[in-house]
Amino acid sequence: MTYLRLALAFISAAIIAGVIFARLGRAKGEGRQHWRAVGLAFAALAVLTAVFDSAMIAMGLFHYDASHILGVKVGLAPIEDFSYPLAGVVALPGLWMWLTRERDREHRQSRKYLLSQALLASRPVSWINTAYPFAAAMLLTTREVTWVLVLGTFYFLIPYNLAMYGINDVFDYESDLKNPRKGGIEGALLPPRLHRPMLWLAAATNVPFLVVLALAGGPAAWMSLAVSAFAVVAYSVAGLRFKERPVLDSLTSSTHFVSPAVVGLALAGAVVTPGLLALLVGFFLWGMAAHAFGAVQDIEPDRQAGIGSIATVIGARRTVRLAVVLWLIAGLAMLATPWPGPLGAIIAVPYIVNCAPWWNVTDTTAGGTNAAWRRFIWLNYGSGFLVTLIFILQWSQAS
Amino acid sequence: MGSLYLVSLLLGIMCMLLLDHRFRLFFWHSPKAAAVVTTAGVLFLLAWDASGIGLGIFLRGEGTVATGLLLAPELPIEEPVFLLFLVLCSMVIYTGTRKLLDRAPTRSADSSGSRSRVKDNAEARENA
Repeated sequence: MTYLRLALAFISAAIIAGVIFARLGRAKGEGRQHWRAVGLAFAALAVLTAVFDSAMIAMGLFHYDASHILGVKVGLAPIEDFSYPLAGVVALPGLWMWLTRERDREHRQSRKYLLSQALLASRPVSWINTAYPFAAAMLLTTREVTWVLVLGTFYFLIPYNLAMYGINDVFDYESDLKNPRKGGIEGALLPPRLHRPMLWLAAATNVPFLVVLALAGGPAAWMSLAVSAFAVVAYSVAGLRFKERPVLDSLTSSTHFVSPAVVGLALAGAVVTPGLLALLVGFFLWGMAAHAFGAVQDIEPDRQAGIGSIATVIGARRTVRLAVVLWLIAGLAMLATPWPGPLGAIIAVPYIVNCAPWWNVTDTTAGGTNAAWRRFIWLNYGSGFLVTLIFILQWSQAS
Repeated sequence: MGSLYLVSLLLGIMCMLLLDHRFRLFFWHSPKAAAVVTTAGVLFLLAWDASGIGLGIFLRGEGTVATGLLLAPELPIEEPVFLLFLVLCSMVIYTGTRKLLDRAPTRSADSSGSRSRVKDNAEARENA
């Protein structure tokens, strides 16, 4: 990758963030003044860059690999060096305007409220569930800590979850109002006035990362990032709402957790082997089973609210049995992976044991599966621990 | 000699902060927001540096004006200081420009409006 391509990646990220923050932050009629000031500031910075960058290069502070730059220079400064001040001056003043927007107290509070709501909505307890698959997949392939690994892990840790749950909370507003279990007093509903800002915030925090990660990889990374981002949006956005389409709901939910791993593999340039495919299939089936089983406890409230899910359509009993079978196949898939992967088959056992007592559950007793669902959350931590041990074993075996 | 670059950068940062202080532009306007913007800016540009270094595009020079202390391969101690300077400089120029633009009358309607108000005041005083 040349300097120009690198610069374009970061500039596009900066422009997207700058435009979105300026949109969020500008008061009426402030936009024109803002962009005029940005333009003038860049003109000044460009002159300073031409002079001082040339001086710094002349003094031998740094240089560039000639094969990576275009060769167009202002003084001694390669034209690409002007991308630094450009990116800074496009993105940061927008953020500044948003943060300092002088308005009445209600607005200031609503920004604070938006940030705290966004953070809460993103479920910090589950951040690790998306960051871990990415980091593990990439680290085990490249076996070194690179900037892409750090950037991607951060992305799948926070912004990704912020988008996933933020968008979800906005578009669930309608159905949550109708849902007797979620609505009413208990409802952690996002007030409608925060809906647009929440969607903008999701875009501002996600698109720049997606652009940079896409430019760091090839077509495989573009595809997997596109699928990952689409699954995040399609799960809850009005019009698509995959979460209310039986079977598609479980598929999309599982994609949320498996796609970060696939992105990590794509960015690391992993070679696709049958063993790797078996691992991914096992992980994907595990995710589907988890979603399907989770939907069983909500059959009653979902039906009352007229919301569809895999469980409301095929019924409690068949959903539970499907989940058990999926976990079983997931475990078997692990046996097809190279050593120490087959050890992972053990992980399926506690899930099946936890779920099996509800083999003959009926739609009326479906609420009782909540007990198993609570245990399930703890089982996940245990499985994460086992998976980590297997990874460490794999790591030490390969080195 | 080895610390010339670092010292110049620190002096530059001080100059920016003096301008900031004098005209209440950035940290002296809204410290919390300025801290967030500065941190975000420096981290963003550092990530850019790291990726350039990782791809083998950016190479550190053996310049005699630099300390030669490294934070990471090809990443001298001066780099984050330079990025801090760049962010401060950008924000001081932007906020300063905004101040000038916002102060200057933007539309002729505004200025004529204020002029007529001045006239009205003068008339009012005369009447009194």
